[in-house]
Amino acid sequence: MNLNQVNKKLDSRFHGAVRAKLSSGCIVLSGELPTWQETVEACQLAATKYSTTHVVNNILCKEVKDIPMRMPKIQDSALDGRTPDVLIIGGGISGVSIARELSKWKLDILLVEKEADLALQASGRNDGEVHPGIDLSKGSKKHYYIRKGNAMFDDICRELDVPFRRVGQYVCFNKEFAKPLVYLYCLYRKKHDGISDTKLISGTDLKQIEPNFAEEFKFAISNPSSGCVCPYGLTIAYAENAVQNGAEIALNTAVLDMEVENGEIKSVTTNRGIIRPKIVVNAAGVFAEDIAKLAKDRFFSIHPRRGTNSILDKKAGAYMHSIASVKDLTISKTHSKGGGILHTVHNNLLIGPDAVETYEKENTETHKESIETVFSKQKRTMPKLSERDIITYFTGVRAPTFEEDFIIENGRKTKNLIHCAGIQSPGLTTAPAVALDIEKMAVQMLRRIQIVEKNPDFSPIRHGVPVLKDMDDKQRAKMIQKNPDYGVIVCRCEEISKGEILDALRSPICVPTVDGIKKRIRPGMGRCQGGFCSPLVTQIIAEFLGVPLSEVKKSSEDSAITFGRTK
Amino acid sequence: MQNYDVLVIGGGPAGLAAAIAAHKNGAKTLLVEREARLGGILKQCIHDGFGLVRFQEKLSGPEYAERFIEEFRKQKIEAKTLTFVTRLEKTENGFSAVLVNRSGVETVTAAALILATGCRERTAKQVNIHGTRPAGVFTAGTAQHFTNLLGELPTKKCVILGSGDIGLIMARRLTLEGAQVLGVYEAKSTPSGLTRNIHQCLHDYDIPLYLSHTVTRVFGADRLTAVEITKVDEKMQPIAGTEQILECDALILSVGLIPENELAETLGVQLDPRTKGPVCNAQLMTSSDGVFSCGNALHVNDLVDYVSESGEIAGENAAKYVKTIRKEIPIKAGERLLYAVPQKLNLNSNNQQTILYFRSRDILDGCVFKIIIDGQEVFSKKYPFLRPPEMEKLTVDFSKYQLSENSEIQLDIEVKSHA
Repeated sequence: MNLNQVNKKLDSRFHGAVRAKLSSGCIVLSGELPTWQETVEACQLAATKYSTTHVVNNILCKEVKDIPMRMPKIQDSALDGRTPDVLIIGGGISGVSIARELSKWKLDILLVEKEADLALQASGRNDGEVHPGIDLSKGSKKHYYIRKGNAMFDDICRELDVPFRRVGQYVCFNKEFAKPLVYLYCLYRKKHDGISDTKLISGTDLKQIEPNFAEEFKFAISNPSSGCVCPYGLTIAYAENAVQNGAEIALNTAVLDMEVENGEIKSVTTNRGIIRPKIVVNAAGVFAEDIAKLAKDRFFSIHPRRGTNSILDKKAGAYMHSIASVKDLTISKTHSKGGGILHTVHNNLLIGPDAVETYEKENTETHKESIETVFSKQKRTMPKLSERDIITYFTGVRAPTFEEDFIIENGRKTKNLIHCAGIQSPGLTTAPAVALDIEKMAVQMLRRIQIVEKNPDFSPIRHGVPVLKDMDDKQRAKMIQKNPDYGVIVCRCEEISKGEILDALRSPICVPTVDGIKKRIRPGMGRCQGGFCSPLVTQIIAEFLGVPLSEVKKSSEDSAITFGRTK
Repeated sequence: MQNYDVLVIGGGPAGLAAAIAAHKNGAKTLLVEREARLGGILKQCIHDGFGLVRFQEKLSGPEYAERFIEEFRKQKIEAKTLTFVTRLEKTENGFSAVLVNRSGVETVTAAALILATGCRERTAKQVNIHGTRPAGVFTAGTAQHFTNLLGELPTKKCVILGSGDIGLIMARRLTLEGAQVLGVYEAKSTPSGLTRNIHQCLHDYDIPLYLSHTVTRVFGADRLTAVEITKVDEKMQPIAGTEQILECDALILSVGLIPENELAETLGVQLDPRTKGPVCNAQLMTSSDGVFSCGNALHVNDLVDYVSESGEIAGENAAKYVKTIRKEIPIKAGERLLYAVPQKLNLNSNNQQTILYFRSRDILDGCVFKIIIDGQEVFSKKYPFLRPPEMEKLTVDFSKYQLSENSEIQLDIEVKSHA
């Protein structure tokens, strides 16, 4: 599509309110529109899927309120004067996996994350599916990385001691007549796109595998390579392994500004001092465009898209054991997959997510409507689903570009910069493979200015906190003999012991908050949602830190749980 | 491996009473409690009003518990505290239980099991509260734990959702601690808690009660900063346009209790969807032979006195338990009843002193409770009023009636005049 065509389309839709212009290899949109929805529509009109000529959104949208980024409270100079070889911005799955792969080299690696813990945004707020790539076609970065990433999961999860199960995915169809067409689609995906595990299975076979699915299904696309993993568990594991191998992770650290000279980042200002890195990796998720702008290398735009997932009681976990979605035979224009049902690695069911465009990058509020939409759709796959089994729900915000593809490339104008941007679904699946490539890119970039040697002490092995409830009685007894605290159950729903909580507090990246512990070893993730264990966990944290209970936080600095002693 | 006649799971009021009764009836009894101290939730219920029925005295929760703990100790019944049951299995002669504690993992066996596992609180997400996920959303029991057991103030200014008893008690408790309780909001058009608690906890402290209102949203990225209150219609659905925002630092939820029967379910015990507890006969034996249920795991009680009573029934019968063929007929609770316990009568048991617990579905004035056997009214009792929050108890001698395997026992409430 050339620029004239783009402008013609924009004119017919927006009557001159928006113009597209080519500038430095980007399609820059400017003008004025009343709503965010129209703004997104305009940018989507101008964008070509998977193109590397990106749409940059400079449209003034009247609806958009200027919401400042959530800032950590802390202000100090802990990082002032640091001169790391690599500064990674963002503690999501992308940033930490890059840090881990780079820790194979003798490098000074610093990762900064503005939140109080890792995986607090999209990486901790998705469904944890390891995708097969059945909806991806050749030519995109997503496709390039999906099979590589998917294939790496067994090894990476073994190395990092993270539970992972290939449970298989079923895309179910209720119209028999569509079968020949879908058969051809599968054949194409298989032969042309290399999604080699794709096959069609009959309704009868599906019924045998998942007896609780809807009767009406005539056949399904099966991808046995799909799996489930705990997305924040994997993120934390990557980060811990990186730290064990010498990388530094600074939480509560936000990038505020950059000094760029002659196409090179000279310094990066944070709330914890000025850092002078040799190279910078932009893995800032929904803020990747903002970071690119600070680095004077903005050639793409992010349009945040939120999605809400519900988690169901483990009792509902017995209804099905795979990943499933229903396919309507209409050509859908939605970009990320429209949600499904997933049996999680912890044996809950996870339902969702939906997809709603939003300009609010960090608004993770949930809405009743999201739950209703998702349930009404997913009940078609499995009529047994009930909102009554919900134990919690959460919202995450995806960070797509208008081309709906990843940006894995060196800075276009700024030399010492690598972008890992536009990462959305299936970004968790691709992360291990993307990290390997960015490792190569970073090493190559650094080798222009210095010698880069292997880290002789690198160990790919990370040990997580032992999970006692998964052990047999003998093994468990042995562990308790070594540490009696493993015999004191604190969280009754998830069967977590005091010993495991103390282990998590002593782990390589200690986040001594109720949510920090919850994310690492799950107390409070069960059906009582912390009703019974949260006072106990708070108490254990307070004792561990040697502080009064009122000093223990739920998550951020301002999230106190109690306000001091009673009368 | 240690063998017992009766294994009691749970050391709250139901489990304590059950263990004492089992022991007194000659059973070698073990009580397992996951917390460090016996007493269950009573430990944190420092308000008074416990034991009025049983002891004709107003005791605090810990005092009430202490009476049973003393008796329990005097009888030298074995207890394992800070011990968690990870697994229950049926065996040829009864049951085996895998226990985890600081000493390790051990298996014990018992001929009969008493599940006195209590209940848990419904959470914010189970009542459709949306918005952010800040600190400051507590269930009333959790807030009570912080306040009474840990001596920590969980709020300075809060809204309480739900007029269940713990919510009312916490409204008073937090007020006494200097916190401001903006109001108790109840989605139903009638209060959920005991009338005496409405008076003693709210009216006496000028805490407003708003019926037909609910909390629909919470605000605050870190600590809770406000809640959205919305009026609801008769079907308890929010009415658009009635939203109001109240600034506060906490939302405290007292929106219902759920009997904890996850262990029971692993044994295949049948649950009653109305009580969410096991379906039991008059001996409080569940659908699984040798498995008994009592207290709040059986059904949610409003008075601890009845919790102890059901524990005693279960304890005595568990001690006397010998596997026999059951001949059970259902006790059907009619439309006007919220539920009734027991749900079955075993004709091969002695049912002379059958204790019936029931609740009405709605507030009813001037009514008659009836037992109808095979279409014949055999028993009736007049009540000036019945209220769902207030459980009723009756002792009935079922041995008087001609009952056969084909008999039908029906419980009904006849209303003379509506409220």
